[in-house]
Amino acid sequence: MSLLSLQKHLIKTSAFALKNWLITKKRIFHLFEILFWPFIGLISVGLLTRFLGLESRMVEFVLIGIIALSVVQIGQLDIAYVILYSIWNKSLKHEMVAPINGFHLIAGSWVMGIIHSLLIFLLLCLFSSFAFHLNFFSSGIVRLSLFFSGLAFFAVSVGIVVCALAFRFGGRAHVGAMSIVSILILVSGIYYPVEILPGSLQFVASLIPLTYFLRYFRSFYGFASGDSDPLLLGFLLSAAYNILSAYLLYLSIRNAKEKGIIIRLSE
Amino acid sequence: MKAISVRGIHKTYPPIKGKKSVHALRGIDLEVEEGTIFCILGPNGAGKTTLISVLTTLLFPDKGEGTICGLDLLRQRGEIREIINVTSGNPNLTDNFSVFENLNYYGMLYGIPKALRKAKIETLVATFDLEAFRDTPFNQLSTGLKQRLALSKSLINNPKILFLDEPTIGLDPQISESVRLTLKELNQKEGLTIILTTHQMDEAEFLSNRIAFLKEGEIIAEGEAEKLKKGLRFGDLIRFHYIGPPLDLDRVSALEGILKVEVREKQITILVDDRRKRLDSLIRILLSEQHIALQDVEVIEPDLEDVFIELAKTPH
Repeated sequence: MSLLSLQKHLIKTSAFALKNWLITKKRIFHLFEILFWPFIGLISVGLLTRFLGLESRMVEFVLIGIIALSVVQIGQLDIAYVILYSIWNKSLKHEMVAPINGFHLIAGSWVMGIIHSLLIFLLLCLFSSFAFHLNFFSSGIVRLSLFFSGLAFFAVSVGIVVCALAFRFGGRAHVGAMSIVSILILVSGIYYPVEILPGSLQFVASLIPLTYFLRYFRSFYGFASGDSDPLLLGFLLSAAYNILSAYLLYLSIRNAKEKGIIIRLSE
Repeated sequence: MKAISVRGIHKTYPPIKGKKSVHALRGIDLEVEEGTIFCILGPNGAGKTTLISVLTTLLFPDKGEGTICGLDLLRQRGEIREIINVTSGNPNLTDNFSVFENLNYYGMLYGIPKALRKAKIETLVATFDLEAFRDTPFNQLSTGLKQRLALSKSLINNPKILFLDEPTIGLDPQISESVRLTLKELNQKEGLTIILTTHQMDEAEFLSNRIAFLKEGEIIAEGEAEKLKKGLRFGDLIRFHYIGPPLDLDRVSALEGILKVEVREKQITILVDDRRKRLDSLIRILLSEQHIALQDVEVIEPDLEDVFIELAKTPH
């Protein structure tokens, strides 16, 4: 790849980062989604643990789960929004007629996804330390960074799946994002260990990278990780899902171009 | 060099929600020379937007092949998108992005470096008289300003071919006129190839070098506006205004080259195969009628609308 070609790819990729930055800056609702709901979730669950009189170890277990979920949720939101916002604006065809590809779209929007989710991760960690005496930083900056990186890496596949759904179902794909997050809450051990799930759901949990990232980080708070290297497993699974979801996106765009969905979504 | 050369393009939309499948394009063959303004005319549902969508790679054809500026329509879609751009009537760009932000964003989608992008945006903002609205969000612009911004956006990458789907729909006549003049100027000064669809015959006639009539997914006529008018009207109309008693139509109809005769109050309209050959004999026979005084003679040029109506009702 020549330098000129590389420069073009970087500009095209950064266009989507710029788009998401401008959406965040101009659309108060987006900022609300990024900040408000994660905090509401953390505070309400934190207070519930107090009401139930849970010991500090259990409080840590639950709060780590809810912070991890928020990171995945915010990380995927930016990727999903890059297409959903165009569908809501009916401007999709103008973007799709430009010489861009799925990589530009996902990589560019992921940049803002990382920034937003890092921001919320740090804020929630700080707030948890202050309000619920959970010291996230005691595990060390490297472990914390690896935990965050794993979550952000996994969020990509969720975001890509929502984008793929958007090319099939239009703006209704937003429901898909909610559904995926709900499934994660149910099976990946956000509020409880996956071991208490029925056998079939435990199998589903074993296919979700978030399960392994949670095991990895909770192991520093006295919980058994259960796997020899949950971090590596989480990253490998995430990589596999990222590849699969990218292929799904490719198929969705192809299908949209065969059936005239892009034109319909732009009218 | 051909800007567009496609053969046998077919497109069928699959059935949706109980509706039948639609065979939108039925074997389109099209050749457009570089530097021309080519207009695609046709009634609603004729397949105009589908054809534009196929040519801009937004829609995959079921069958057919072709090239856009020498690039394969089926295998070099990415390269094609580098050298084309598109806009349509009722344009939708990103709602709460300002004029500048929209142009900057779309410029980035084409990979244009910052300095070049800024210079291009300045030129476009000046050309389309958008300076005063640089920071105005798209959703606060009037319809005319939105259309001007959409046209600016469609020129951000210096396209070789510009596709315009009903570019002046919904605009007031003054703005439509200025858009048409801008398009004409872009074509004449910069040699930009423009492919446009429109319902407005005067627009097609003013702008286009060549016109294709699309009906039910097929091109039923294609050529220069003047030649189409001549060819499809099957002759010329001559109208005589007169004073006097009713005319003897049989004498007129019996003349050679007379295709149709219609009489209304004090006027007779005659369709002839060629006005230059028939006008003299017609005048002579009408003058020979007793008690008739000719008042005026009109040779009526068919306009594109007549051609359009004629073609739209012709079974093919």
